[in-house]
Amino acid sequence: MKTQLNWRNTTAIGLGLMAMTFTSCKKDSTETPTAKKSYSANISNIGTNVITQTYKELASKSAILYSEVVKLKDNQTASNLDIARGAWRDTRVPWEKSEGFLFGPVDTKGIDPAIDSWPVNKIDLDAVLAGSDALTESFIDALAGELKGFHTIEYLLWGGTGNKQVGDFTAREFEYLLSVTENLKNKTKILADSWDPAGENFVKNLTEAGTSSSIYLTEKSALQELVQGMIGIADEVANGKINDPLSQQDLSKEESQFSHNSKNDFANNVRSISNVYNGKFNVNGLGIYDVVKESDQNLADRLNDEINAAITAIDNIPGTFSDAVFNNQAAVNEAKDKITVIQTTLESEILPIINNL
Amino acid sequence: MTTSCNTKEEIKPQSRSRLYAGGETTIFEESSFAFSSPASNLTGDNLAQHLDGDAAFEQVFVTPPAPLNQGLGSIYNNSSCIACHPKDGRAPHPTELNDFTGLFLRGSIVGTDAHGGPLPIPGFGDQIQQNSVIGTKPEADFAVVYTETVVTFDDGTPVTLRKPVYYLKNTYIPLPSQVMLSPRVGPPVFGLGLLEAIPEESIVALADEQDSDRDGISGKPNYVWNHEEATMQLGRFGWKGINPTVLQQCAGAYNNDMGITNPYFPVENSFGQTNNSDPNPNDPELDQQSLDDATFYCRTLAVPAPRNVNNEEVLIGEKLFETIGCAKCHVPKHETGVFPGIPEISNQTIYPYTDMLLHDMGFGLADDRPSFSANGQEWKTRPLWGIGLTEVVGGHTHFLHDGRARNLTEAILWHGGEAAKSTSNFKSLDAKNRAAVIAFLNSL
Repeated sequence: MKTQLNWRNTTAIGLGLMAMTFTSCKKDSTETPTAKKSYSANISNIGTNVITQTYKELASKSAILYSEVVKLKDNQTASNLDIARGAWRDTRVPWEKSEGFLFGPVDTKGIDPAIDSWPVNKIDLDAVLAGSDALTESFIDALAGELKGFHTIEYLLWGGTGNKQVGDFTAREFEYLLSVTENLKNKTKILADSWDPAGENFVKNLTEAGTSSSIYLTEKSALQELVQGMIGIADEVANGKINDPLSQQDLSKEESQFSHNSKNDFANNVRSISNVYNGKFNVNGLGIYDVVKESDQNLADRLNDEINAAITAIDNIPGTFSDAVFNNQAAVNEAKDKITVIQTTLESEILPIINNL
Repeated sequence: MTTSCNTKEEIKPQSRSRLYAGGETTIFEESSFAFSSPASNLTGDNLAQHLDGDAAFEQVFVTPPAPLNQGLGSIYNNSSCIACHPKDGRAPHPTELNDFTGLFLRGSIVGTDAHGGPLPIPGFGDQIQQNSVIGTKPEADFAVVYTETVVTFDDGTPVTLRKPVYYLKNTYIPLPSQVMLSPRVGPPVFGLGLLEAIPEESIVALADEQDSDRDGISGKPNYVWNHEEATMQLGRFGWKGINPTVLQQCAGAYNNDMGITNPYFPVENSFGQTNNSDPNPNDPELDQQSLDDATFYCRTLAVPAPRNVNNEEVLIGEKLFETIGCAKCHVPKHETGVFPGIPEISNQTIYPYTDMLLHDMGFGLADDRPSFSANGQEWKTRPLWGIGLTEVVGGHTHFLHDGRARNLTEAILWHGGEAAKSTSNFKSLDAKNRAAVIAFLNSL
């Protein structure tokens, strides 16, 4: 996981001094801490109302996708295929909106690689389809990440060239599709439950950051986690998802290449940043914005302008991303640059504020 | 920056220096990204290569032929670097050994190869791959049996340790008798370039093979085969220090762990085996640039700074770490020399807490599988920097070569052999002082 910040303007020594200042002024745990502003409400709101809710939505959309695939298998019509494809796109929305916080169970339980690995291992997939194993959900679950999850489902629904017709499906493909979507449903349910206070309650690490969390021993470390998560996805979209196919003029490097869903992926990744930053998913609450504005109201507002500008730039890419990579490079570059602006602001202006709390 | 602090809270001089655990590469990061940042002094072309290496490290390989990332297998343990080093950190001890995890088994038969290294198992090689591309039989399934033992502190507090014993099931051909197996989990990958840049003479100077100072501790260098330079060199990487360079460590992992042939190790790990279904139309599968980038990445990740260095309990623990003898092998401080091409890791004062040497750790931890100079009871001292961030990065606190220890206390209690005296000292501490030692480790 990378971060592109060029440290030339912020020497290591300077950073060290900031950190040291913080450390050197920290009271021993045995003493009563001086009244320091608490950001527990911001961190808790993001954990409870943004992250946990996003995962709940992902689980419920995945369940709908599974039920639409069941309908398609039982009634193989062009219309049901369209509905199933739409359900895949709908499920992709909360997933992409969750990629601004790829920490905790999604990572430690190996869920990300199990549901969002790519490229699809087509050679192995063909070999499984040509074989005689019963394609149960547990059989699929035991396969490598490159044979299950979003992109394998996408490949099966759209085909390698994107013009697959409902009549092109084999019985084995339907069998595989059914189990692989059931597996996605199960994995996303595990993910949602892992954050849910009624489940494994990982969210308590945010609601109790700086008090009884065993991993976020200070509120600052939880805020760092949230900001680093935002930086991580901004970097991934600008320098990976967009730049790899663009700079190498190679569509094999486009992630959602079969469905041509890339522009939606990018925009929802940016919305993921917005949701954490503003503490807003279905309801409005405190976010990182409210931490930043205490130091710098203009900066706090500017990042929101930059987020909106990036989404606009993505929307302004004409046609599909696959086409624009070759035929509208200026528009693609513009989107990339606008996302890089977000990353730079987070890294060089907002993270230092957090580090100095 | 000016902040008013009470003088009594100012960082003590010794803590001030250890705060920069990775010298000028150090980052101040306490989140799950603590092991994943470029060295904070990287700029220009070196930063660019690090970022290219980051992409290489996350690349997921698939069965050839394929337009992207082809070359997986035919037999393998996992399909990307990051899968065994999650967030550039430590893989957990798996709940299911045959899933795609960060644990695998090495294997050998009695005897040594031409360079004094382990003799591969005929038909299996020196690493067992439990996964394969579809249509190929993996070499075996991994299996494990745990036995539990109770260790008691001098104050009567019991601790249960679990000892895993590994074996193979469903081998694709009968396994020869007298096979030695040894487990490994993927360790963190930050700070490796700094360890590679410690001058050999500094490490060798710490060795005391005959225990001439009679302190019961006799660190010993491992001398291993450098495949590229065709010479014996000081081993620095791997749980027994069997690789002399980060490059050989990375190239070996590509080849053995993922089945990706590369310029350094161009022959498939299944070559000559009856389960080899890789017709090798495209070796090496990884180009030199990608191998160099991934290697550069592992050499230039930042070391996270310790936390709470001023905390009273941590300071007590730091002192105890020294007085009960831990620091004799977990040597806190080193100076790096000049590393060609990477000034950022050259001439740095670092605090890795390792002597980079082999020590007899007793029969409890023994894998009974020699590797070059390392016998079946010897392991290389692990660096401890960043160890307190294991849980936030990886969601677990599994330690030692196979992750058998479920927390730091268990990890300490597994230390036998040359470390037995220190362990016994630790067991004699009262609960408050034991907690202080753990608090110190967690501050790293």
